[in-house]
Amino acid sequence: MRIIIDEKPVEVEPGITILEAARQNDIDIPTLCYHEAFGGQGMCRMCMVEVKNGATSRLVASCTYPISEEIEVSTSTPAIARIRRNIIGLLYRRAPNSEFMQLLREQYKCPEVRLDVNQEENCILCRLCVKACEEMGSSAIAAVFRGTDKRIGTPYDDAATACIGCGACAQICPTGAIAMTESEDRRTIWNKDFALVRCQRCGQPVGTPEQLEYIASKSGLALEFGLCQECRRKQAAVKVSGYHR
Amino acid sequence: MPAEIKTEPNEKLLLSIINNYPGEKRYILSIMQDMQKQFNYLPRQGLEMIALHVASPFSQVYSMATFYKAFSLVPKGRINFKVCDGTACHIKGSNVIIDQIYQHLGIKPGETTPDGEFSLETVNCIGACALAPAVLANDRVYPKVTSAGIVEIIKSYGGHADASSK
Repeated sequence: MRIIIDEKPVEVEPGITILEAARQNDIDIPTLCYHEAFGGQGMCRMCMVEVKNGATSRLVASCTYPISEEIEVSTSTPAIARIRRNIIGLLYRRAPNSEFMQLLREQYKCPEVRLDVNQEENCILCRLCVKACEEMGSSAIAAVFRGTDKRIGTPYDDAATACIGCGACAQICPTGAIAMTESEDRRTIWNKDFALVRCQRCGQPVGTPEQLEYIASKSGLALEFGLCQECRRKQAAVKVSGYHR
Repeated sequence: MPAEIKTEPNEKLLLSIINNYPGEKRYILSIMQDMQKQFNYLPRQGLEMIALHVASPFSQVYSMATFYKAFSLVPKGRINFKVCDGTACHIKGSNVIIDQIYQHLGIKPGETTPDGEFSLETVNCIGACALAPAVLANDRVYPKVTSAGIVEIIKSYGGHADASSK
């Protein structure tokens, strides 16, 4: 199927989203809540584009818009630029201390914050952490409350029984808003305390016993988790090189 | 007198509510509404049982319960005052009523008296703008409430409106 993105005709598979089509053709559409692993959430609205279909034209979120017709897409019009600048301006006001948002503010030339702001807040509510937790299979966290009180949390802000301490949420967070602390043998995240397994060879953290057990049961393999990813790879490489002798 | 609340939650009662619905996600809200009606709040045990019943993560059920203003996660008082704070009532002085309730019962919106008798919340519009400012005590509507009127209403429900916390 042939569509036009920014006046450039491109060949696409029907059914993929505009965002995917654009990225396949090296056309940049900015996103905040999108991740290749999860697909579009349609949450942040940064990826808004203008879609022209015949005589009608409208603004859509490109990450959740599957291509089914021969449309014409503009990824940067004055209207879209205004929307993006607004989004960044508002999210920056929400999390002005986050380096991630400071960079975006400069990039989009949004005004500085002059009002009293919450200095502690780093979260921009993109929900990538919620999605990561869901994909991991734990779903320990969710967006709770509503409106200006909305935040990411565990039920009743307790140490969630469902949490396995894998840290996927903290790892995927673009602004570093999720606190995860690691000491010699403990990992603390979401008010929950875990034992921390370290690599027998290099001492890097491998994960929590709950996490390793979960991965073992999910994969159905009795995996040896004495080593970290890097050291396991090295070990495997040595093994494989042995076959070629 | 309006219907009075209510029963203490226990596993058997919770189950009898939950088992009215098939174990599918789309019934979460209906179950919550029934629970809220029965207990005047959503007990934690109830939410956990819903999650189990519909095979949804507890976090998701909690997320829904906190999203809707119609649900409360803390027990409401025997008499729950809903002071309308919609545009008409706001202009007609709903803040005075809220202030009076605070003066006499010592509770702010969202709070419950320690004895569990009264609780207070504000609502955005009860559709009685011609009767502004309006107050709901449980399900009973009090129209055109004045600052003296609310004291009488508190008294009529057995509140020690004179023992003010000044």
